[in-house]
Amino acid sequence: MLKSTHRPQNVGQSPPPLPPGWTEHKAPTGHSYYYNAELKKSTYTRPTVQTESTPAEPAFGSPWQSYPPGIPVQAGSPFGPFQQQYGDGFHRAEPAIGFQSGFTRPRDGRGHHDRARHQPQDRPKSKHAIPDCSPWLLVRTKLKRRFVYNSETNESYWRIPEDVMKGVVEFDRIEREKKEARERGEDVSETLKDTKQTEVARTEEQDGSEAAEDVESDEYEEVEVTDEEDDLNENPTKRQKTEEEQVDQPVDFNEDDIAYQLAAMGQEYGLDPGEYGDGEGQEWEEGAEGLPLTEEDSAALFKDLLSDHNLNPFSTWDKIIDEGRIIDDDRYTVLPNMKARRAVWDEWAQDKIRDIRAKKEKEVKKDPRIPYFTLLEKYATPKLYWQEFKRKYKKESEMRDLKLSDKDREKWYREYISRLKLSSSTLKSDLSVLLKSLPLSELNRSSQLENLPSALLSDLRFVSVSPSVRDELISAYISTLPAAPEPTDLSEEDQTVKSKEAEERKRREKALQARAKKVEEDKRRQQKELDYGKDRLREEEEQIQQAMKFGKQGLLSHLETAPEHGTEIANGNTQA
Amino acid sequence: MPPIRSARNRKPPPEGFEDIEDTLLEFSNKMKDAENAPHDGKKRHEMLWPIFQIRHQRTRYIWDLYTKDSISKQLYDYLLKNGYADAMLIAKWKKTGYEKLCCLPCIQTKETNFNATCICRVPKARLTEGQTVQCVNCGCRGCASSD
Repeated sequence: MLKSTHRPQNVGQSPPPLPPGWTEHKAPTGHSYYYNAELKKSTYTRPTVQTESTPAEPAFGSPWQSYPPGIPVQAGSPFGPFQQQYGDGFHRAEPAIGFQSGFTRPRDGRGHHDRARHQPQDRPKSKHAIPDCSPWLLVRTKLKRRFVYNSETNESYWRIPEDVMKGVVEFDRIEREKKEARERGEDVSETLKDTKQTEVARTEEQDGSEAAEDVESDEYEEVEVTDEEDDLNENPTKRQKTEEEQVDQPVDFNEDDIAYQLAAMGQEYGLDPGEYGDGEGQEWEEGAEGLPLTEEDSAALFKDLLSDHNLNPFSTWDKIIDEGRIIDDDRYTVLPNMKARRAVWDEWAQDKIRDIRAKKEKEVKKDPRIPYFTLLEKYATPKLYWQEFKRKYKKESEMRDLKLSDKDREKWYREYISRLKLSSSTLKSDLSVLLKSLPLSELNRSSQLENLPSALLSDLRFVSVSPSVRDELISAYISTLPAAPEPTDLSEEDQTVKSKEAEERKRREKALQARAKKVEEDKRRQQKELDYGKDRLREEEEQIQQAMKFGKQGLLSHLETAPEHGTEIANGNTQA
Repeated sequence: MPPIRSARNRKPPPEGFEDIEDTLLEFSNKMKDAENAPHDGKKRHEMLWPIFQIRHQRTRYIWDLYTKDSISKQLYDYLLKNGYADAMLIAKWKKTGYEKLCCLPCIQTKETNFNATCICRVPKARLTEGQTVQCVNCGCRGCASSD
């Protein structure tokens, strides 16, 4: 993963046309750059039609966007780690210049630009039906990778699913037999074969790749195309390039480089060194741990995150993580590891549950009779006996409520029906008696028809009057009542507590922002250093190569043609 | 003849049951899935692993809620009585050294050849370096209290 994995394919092709509004120019250094007069923006990356509105988009998106839906670009694809590793942060630093055709790079401009040049230009090449798995197709790409594609559901996977795997194995067997048969056939027409040099080359290449595939045990797993593989079985023209190409080979990474890159990657993911490091405290860069967030602050931040996502405190931690909503949040990274997060979650859930219980105790319990009575009002008629009514509406949630017993339900039903048969005047007088019995604290001038006290709502005398008559009666009665008595208030203390909490929270959020800023700065600086170091390394490598080559030639020429020594050296110089 | 307890005439569950009802329902769904999962390609003893694991998770969930005082004693008793949690397993968790016990068969010494507990009961420190274990009873990878 630490190596660059691809070589671009589009060196010989003409670049795609520019979207309207963009013009191409040559810089004095020989770069071509693109300028949009309307947006007053210039960029090194060639804007494509898709990325017209955001020309500074990371260059990685573009080669994949031109793909047919068959190419899977998802996690689990061999490019998963690749894209993550060299994701946006890498390319935002400087415009990549990899896509220009026929562009000769200046020597010192090597370094990380090679990454852009190594972008995969993979394309589906051929597709085959897999026996016994009818909607699935096996697609081979130009880079000799393969994936399966379901033409019905439009799904495609690099990792072949298990049920398709059998079909693929079968397909491979058939292919091999075919090839053997073909080779036998070619033996007969040996003379023809001699004339066609190219075909031999092609079959040899195929053989090579087939053999390579056979040797690999994880043939059916994701196939990572590395540089070595490129050199082995890609188009042979690549290999004819001379030392210049050799320089492009990834330099051997030593331990320092790996550690360095690991640190850079970790920063890109927003991890703390404690999470990916190997415990060598002194090698962590300064400021990674010592940022202004204290332990309590980070725990509190994490708790804020939990509360903001409206998580159910009765849920399990595993489920929360599986859902993965909180993982996307910035504040998820303030805690160093999963153990700490879990501890904070436990604490938070406990507090939250306690709060909920306290609140529940405080608030008035809703009478389960009220919904049942509304149901009665809606459906009950004297035409239905209780048994019939019960059977007819047994699916209603009010009829299944465990808090009411069936006996009570039956009793209320019968009572309600008997009340329906009474004259309206008696019903009205009953209701007024009920209204008068209610205390002033529950029913007063400020009370509305929408939120009447439950003592009133859960009374059959109230329910049995038809709503239109009832509303009139009640509103008339309410208007005659005096105002509500003064309630004793405790909210002063609550308010001060609340404001204090809000202040604390604001302060923590500020601290987080400051931390994020600093991390960003560090990241940028480190990226710069990394690039510089790589450039240096590459240059040195090049110099060494040059020196070696020159020395050999010089010696040779010295041995063979002593008098022409001077000119030879000059030649060597120009060649290099 | 004892009274027939149907869904209709059952006593309502204690206060707070509706809070954890969703999670319990999820567990029971998971359990159903595990019961109906196909067994092809699995070893004979592997078939029961998910059952034991889900049972352990659910019991642990209820036990944690109870020890953190998040559910009432009444509700806890109700859950035990109605088989949401494994009371026998919880009884073991209350004992020193058994706080993380994975399942009851793992401490049945009489069922093994050498009258010993399961391999998953052995602390990590006592195992040889780099040895990974997975017990046959429930697929546990180690449930010693010291781990």
